[in-house]
Amino acid sequence: MAKHLNCDGLQRRDFLKAGVLGTTGLSLASYLRLAEAGEVRGNAPAKSAIFINLNGGPSHMDTFDLKPNAPDEYRGLFNPISTNAPGVEFCEHLPKLAKCADKFAVLRGVSHTLGAHQLGTEYVNTGNRPLPSLEFPGYGSVVTKQAKNLPNDLPSFVAVGNNTQQKAGYLGVRYAPLVTGSTPRPGAPYSVRGVSLSNGLTVNEVEKRTGLLRELYTTFAGYEKNNQLLDGLDRFSEQAHAMITSKRAREAFDISKESPAFAAPFGDEAFGMSCLLASRLVEAGVKFVSMSLGGWDTHQNNFDRLENNLLPTLDTGLAALFTGLAQKGLLDSTVVYVTGEFGRTPKLNNRSTPGGRDHYPRCMFMLMAGGGVKGGQVVGESDEKATQPLNDAITPDDVAASFYHALGIDHTHEYNTTTGRPVMIVREGTVIDQLFS
Amino acid sequence: MKVLVSITFGLAVLAGTVDGFAADDVVRPISQRFATESNETPDFRKHIVPLMSRLGCNGRACHGSFQGQGGFRLSLFGYDFKMDHENLTSGDEPRVNLDKPEDSLFIQKPTMVEIHEGGERYETDSWEHKVFLAWVKSGAKSITKETPEFVRLDVTPSEIIFDSEGQTEQMEVVAVWSDGSRENVTDLSRFQTNNDTVADISATGLVTANEPGDTHVVVFYDNGVVPIPVMRPVSKLVGTDYPQVQTPTEIDRLVVQKLRKMGVVPSDVANDTEFLRRVRLDMTGTLPTAAEVRAFLADPSPDKRARKIDELLESPAYAAWWTTRLCDITGNSDDQLNNVTPIRQAASQNWYDWIYKRVANNTPYDELATGIVMANSRDSDESFKEYCQEMSDIYYSKSDKSFADRESMPHYWARRNFRTAEDRAIGFAYTFLGLRIQCAQCHKHPFDQWTQDDFKAFTGFFTHTRFGQDPKSRDEYNEMMEKLGLDGLRGNDRRRKIQDLVKEGKVAPMQEVFTTAVQPLPKNNNPKRNQRNRNTASRTASVLGGEVVPLEKFDDPRQPLMDWLRTSENPYFARAFVNRVWAGYFNVGIVEPPDDMSLANPPSNAPLLDYLTEGFIASGFDMKWVHRTIANSETYQRSWKPNETNQFDETNFSHAIPRRIPAEVAVDAIALATASDDAVSKWNESLDGRAIAIPGAGRRSRGGNNYALTIFGRSIRESNCDCDRSMDASLLQTVFLQNDAELLGMIENRRGWLGQVARDLKLSLPGADVAKTKADKAKADRIRKNLARMRERVAELKKSGNDTAVRKLSDQMAGLRKQLARFTGQDDTDNASRADEKAAQANWDKIVDEAFLRTLSRLPTDEEQHRSREFVANADNSLDGIRDLLWALLNTKEFIVNH
Repeated sequence: MAKHLNCDGLQRRDFLKAGVLGTTGLSLASYLRLAEAGEVRGNAPAKSAIFINLNGGPSHMDTFDLKPNAPDEYRGLFNPISTNAPGVEFCEHLPKLAKCADKFAVLRGVSHTLGAHQLGTEYVNTGNRPLPSLEFPGYGSVVTKQAKNLPNDLPSFVAVGNNTQQKAGYLGVRYAPLVTGSTPRPGAPYSVRGVSLSNGLTVNEVEKRTGLLRELYTTFAGYEKNNQLLDGLDRFSEQAHAMITSKRAREAFDISKESPAFAAPFGDEAFGMSCLLASRLVEAGVKFVSMSLGGWDTHQNNFDRLENNLLPTLDTGLAALFTGLAQKGLLDSTVVYVTGEFGRTPKLNNRSTPGGRDHYPRCMFMLMAGGGVKGGQVVGESDEKATQPLNDAITPDDVAASFYHALGIDHTHEYNTTTGRPVMIVREGTVIDQLFS
Repeated sequence: MKVLVSITFGLAVLAGTVDGFAADDVVRPISQRFATESNETPDFRKHIVPLMSRLGCNGRACHGSFQGQGGFRLSLFGYDFKMDHENLTSGDEPRVNLDKPEDSLFIQKPTMVEIHEGGERYETDSWEHKVFLAWVKSGAKSITKETPEFVRLDVTPSEIIFDSEGQTEQMEVVAVWSDGSRENVTDLSRFQTNNDTVADISATGLVTANEPGDTHVVVFYDNGVVPIPVMRPVSKLVGTDYPQVQTPTEIDRLVVQKLRKMGVVPSDVANDTEFLRRVRLDMTGTLPTAAEVRAFLADPSPDKRARKIDELLESPAYAAWWTTRLCDITGNSDDQLNNVTPIRQAASQNWYDWIYKRVANNTPYDELATGIVMANSRDSDESFKEYCQEMSDIYYSKSDKSFADRESMPHYWARRNFRTAEDRAIGFAYTFLGLRIQCAQCHKHPFDQWTQDDFKAFTGFFTHTRFGQDPKSRDEYNEMMEKLGLDGLRGNDRRRKIQDLVKEGKVAPMQEVFTTAVQPLPKNNNPKRNQRNRNTASRTASVLGGEVVPLEKFDDPRQPLMDWLRTSENPYFARAFVNRVWAGYFNVGIVEPPDDMSLANPPSNAPLLDYLTEGFIASGFDMKWVHRTIANSETYQRSWKPNETNQFDETNFSHAIPRRIPAEVAVDAIALATASDDAVSKWNESLDGRAIAIPGAGRRSRGGNNYALTIFGRSIRESNCDCDRSMDASLLQTVFLQNDAELLGMIENRRGWLGQVARDLKLSLPGADVAKTKADKAKADRIRKNLARMRERVAELKKSGNDTAVRKLSDQMAGLRKQLARFTGQDDTDNASRADEKAAQANWDKIVDEAFLRTLSRLPTDEEQHRSREFVANADNSLDGIRDLLWALLNTKEFIVNH
């Protein structure tokens, strides 16, 4: 296995490795353990994480950062309501979240400069401003790389849905998420890419064909220790089999196993079901779950779409997730991060009546809960028309640093990219202490 | 122990000035000269900076950090003499105190007289201390115009061969300067081992033998970087004890020449099926079909391998696969080509098609490269209008014109990550030189001779070519825009409108890659007036390691760059190509990784790389020559099965290295293994639907969201690195092969092989159960279980010869089958069923053969044949058995591994 030179003189173990593998048994497994010796601190509160991407860029002014006293062409149609956190107000169409505002923190006046969907999305999915020459890894890949003692029969990183912006980037395919392919629906069996048994297969049949496989699996027998690939394939084969046939993995993905009383608040929409699934997955031991809720690109009919569609969906799913995690005693050990790629223009446009709002990275909101994050507080502030941060801007980098901090990961830890360049996990951010106090 | 005598390593070519100096003129080591008080004045470049480097002062974690450390910054890895001298001698807190030299911070801190976060670097009164102090006392002078230039390092020994663990060997390093002076700089050099399991090297240059194997130790001084090979043979079979090994080709001779030194005996030549599968996968990215394997095995002629190689080189799959590889290194990605062409994804398709045509026609590689390096959107003498007409025709869906017929492929220059001169210099060096010069953008390259000045001078070639609107044809452009009502449209809106117009067959204005010649400076040159121009476009440039070239002498400022690539002395261009091709056949390059041809990363077999490079140039950059020469060697055709001596060899080509097949190849291989015979027979003529024919990478591209290609690590073509393609194995890949609905669906596809077998044998497809309810399913399962039990019983009874009981049981079984048919929709009457089953059984052997050929490209062994047949025969439903056999074969390592 060739390693690469890095700019700081990391030595390469390449060339002829005579005797080494054989005598000291440097298998892929132990190599991986060496490579994965990360920077995970003790006593970190959070063991797992959920990342929710609100694709399209949700309007901050119509959700968690209302400005009822702003001029009409800014304020929008919605009114604020009070929440169970003293002095904290949300939009009137988020009543369920208002009742559990004590469980999460709202970040206001978060700010950056990338107003295109793709660039903004890459930014908030990695905590690093995108570079043309380097693909940064998403949070899930970093968290799984840093994790130790991952369960053998469960995927460590699950992306719910058929597409994810959580990419492995320069960390490589080893840290890519298991993409489920679909979102669960109530009352229907949920098929997860690679994990569920499909095409009418039963565990018995899988065991039977695996029996045949074992008989035919002889070509390289005895040579595995000479070749890290062959050795690795053996391990992966066993692990995949464990995952496919284990009750734990199947049950983790089977939301029908959840008690009706617990499941009811999640509602019956795909997003709520995904939230329910996420809570089950982290309970089972999955390290990182990512999912998304799209449709926030409200250039037109902003208010109608928010009031009748987006906000009720978000309200139900998120409130049930926060409350449900707390109920199961998982909120302390699970950190949840919710964000879009940017906010939306404070001033209404006239593409429709009433107006819509356009892309606006200069001022946006984000949510964070669990894992030692103090709920019921607002961190940061925007000015009176929500056009920019009132004081110091919070950046996506800072929030990413804090997200990692909650997981006990030092965001200044350096990786060597595939070209040997040393790069910090989050290059520019600082942990926002207020989130944790 | 054997130590070879000195060989000189030329670096900067300034030879000639050093003649006349004999070896005994070498100035003895500075540690000796300064062991006691000395009147000598140490030199900033020759002594002070190298000593600071050796002590680690300018490392990244110390003062080399871009923020400095403790208020003091040095250039990272040295070589910015001016800045280093300034930072030492000036600023708020100068490190040098000329009035009281002993009080200088840069003497007190490293000796821990003053607190130093970096700890003690040398002791008071050590020679290092005396050198620094003497320099300050002499006035702490910087470099001057008189300071000679560094010429090269002479390092002895030039090769080390150990024979037992713990043996040592001292390196000696002599620096040669342009004034002819020579100095022993062993004490001022830095050392590194490329593999500490084979050899360690101490800070003073003492090499110690560890395990058997081979590696290099590397010596650094000034911008000299010299790798010295170190070997310890793996066995006693060296020299005259080495067995007789046939070396029919020059490649074999050069490989065995190295193996002989290492005591490594190569593996035997692989058998025909192994050879065919391997050469198919490596050369054409395609599994051989079952029919092809049978035909190849049946061919008795001795030259069939050579003929197969020639045949494959003429196949579309060869062109497609190596076009894909060239698209990897040139960075063909839809994500980088947004709005470059009016039709979405046309740019990546153009790119693929343009290269494909040249690979298929075996256009010389230097010509192919010229078409990219010297690309402009307009062909020679094409007017803007003609250009727009031609391109509109090409993009007009009903036109039969092809982009591939145009002179050049300009999209390379239109990439989003190829906009700035720096990005271009880095991307170009990666693509055409196999070099990673990006380090030198910000600091001295730590593993190569490149400095920031070299980098800057090189970027000059890339400042005259732009993508957009050529100002010279602005009027025509505006006129067209106005006529078509496109005024004021930008970006995506403009592209969409133009796309509509082009699809109607209209001629639309096109953006273009264009290059502006450097104009001679006017005689009464007003520097202010030319300020703007000067900032954006360089008047001069130099190739890496070359002289400064005034660009105004050339119509196209890129011409001298291309000329340099094509000279036979160019150390990178041809070499990078043959090395990458080699890596495609052997899992590792002769230089590995193939895109890191730095001095500190030398080839594992330099004569071999030289031979291929020279042969490639001599052949007129004939790409097929490289492929043919490699594939015909015994070295390539060796078995993966290792012996005692070569089992741990991964870099000296003594046996084939099992490696995972690349993403596109894997996806195509699964498709081929599961396809019907009809589909397979078209496989070699057409590239339709093939993963190796997907043009671009990226989210926007066809296949961009293909899950299998993503998890198997298709190149993302993002970051100027061969590692953008991942060859790692991962859990998700195995999960995909074992249980992904997509893969299971392919196996059970009615139009696939299984469906064909079902039709041929009149069996029902698995999963074709019409049982609607759970209860029905349970009943069907019960019947299947009964049937299985009865089958076993029948087998026993047959053995004991009880025919009556057999007949009775068989009748019962027929009844059960009939019942089962109600649940499964299987249309079988008693007799038909029995007859079919019998016919099917007669065919089991053939089917098992076929399943093996489709997946592992070989026939099963007797043992495998027997077990597979039993498995199928014992399955409740024969087709389930065949399905499971195919599944199991797709999940063997042997399938996903090229071996």
